[in-house]
This record gives sequence, structure tokens and C-alpha cells, in this order.
Amino acid sequence: MKNRLRVLRAEREWSQADLAKQLEVSRQSVNAIETGKFDPSLPLAFKLARLFGMRIEEIFSDES
Amino acid sequence: MWCVSNPAQSRYRVRMLVAAVLCILFAALAAAAFNVWHLTGAVAWVVAVVSALPIVGALVGTGAYLNEEKDEFQRNLYIQAILGGIAGTLAATTIWGYLEDFARAPHMRLIWVCPMFWIFVVVVFPVIRLRYR
Repeated sequence: MKNRLRVLRAEREWSQADLAKQLEVSRQSVNAIETGKFDPSLPLAFKLARLFGMRIEEIFSDES
Repeated sequence: MWCVSNPAQSRYRVRMLVAAVLCILFAALAAAAFNVWHLTGAVAWVVAVVSALPIVGALVGTGAYLNEEKDEFQRNLYIQAILGGIAGTLAATTIWGYLEDFARAPHMRLIWVCPMFWIFVVVVFPVIRLRYR
């Protein structure tokens, strides 16, 4: 699954560690999601969407 | 697991350390008890089962960790490592079973199955982590 997490994070000048802290997950988790190697669960996707003030589909897309 | 640390992982490490110490202690005490008193019957069964309890405790501790881990990615990594451990143990013990039956390989005692499982978990875990770098 593709996502815009890296761009959205960069726009806010957050490091992976900053984002991980706000999501209460490890930095490795953020990296795995950003690189598309790990798809987050719906609760975590909603948490991300709330954090960025966007809808889930504005962050994630199911394009391969 | 061994690089990052959160409260659930810290608790898990403590539980595993306690289980490992108890495992060695109980095994030594049981061996001494059987050597000195030559236990038989129900007492022998009870002492044998009690000696195995720390190993069971380690498995329960692993289940507790999976239940407590809030980071779904870390939980996913550990579940994959456990699956790798189970697969490795099943494969190794099955192959060895055939070797015992058909090639007269020496008998492997069942008490080594659980340590073998943990060895597979420890070996597989870093390999799985590499996939997510």
C-alpha cells in the first residue's frame, strides 16, 4: 500500500522519532509504514489521519 | 525486541530472565532429588512436572508479552519470529524422528524441544528484522 507519510512528516519537519512518539509506537514502526513494508491496522491508520488532520484515503492509497 | 525497548518489552525481558534462572535451578534441584532419593511413583511425576513449570512459564510470559505489546509492528515481528521458531522446531524434530526410525540416529530427548524452539526464535528474529530495514 502506498502512502504519503514521509512527505506529510517532512512538511511538518518531524523526524521519524517525533512521529513515533506521537503515535506511541517505535521509530522502526514508522519507518516500516513509510517504506510500505508494513501496513498499519485501521486503528493506527485512524490515529495517523487524526494527527495529520486528514482522511485516511488522503494518506494511504491502494495503488501498487 | 533487542534493539528497541518499551515497557512491555522490558517486562518480557525480566520474565524471561526469571524463567531462565528458575529453569536452571529447578532442573538442578530435580536432578539432585532423583540422584539422592531415587524418586519413584507419584512423587517422581510431581517433581518432574514441577521441574518443567519454568519452561511453561516462559511460554505464558511470551503470550503475556504479545497481549501487552501496544506497538503492532513490534508484535508482528515477534509473531513472525515465533512462527519461524515453531516451523524450525517442527521441521528439525520431524527430520530427526525419521533419522531415528530409518537411519538409527541417536534418540533425542524431548526436553530439548523447547530450548530448540527458543534457539530458532533467537536466530530467526534478526533475519526478520532485516526485511524491514
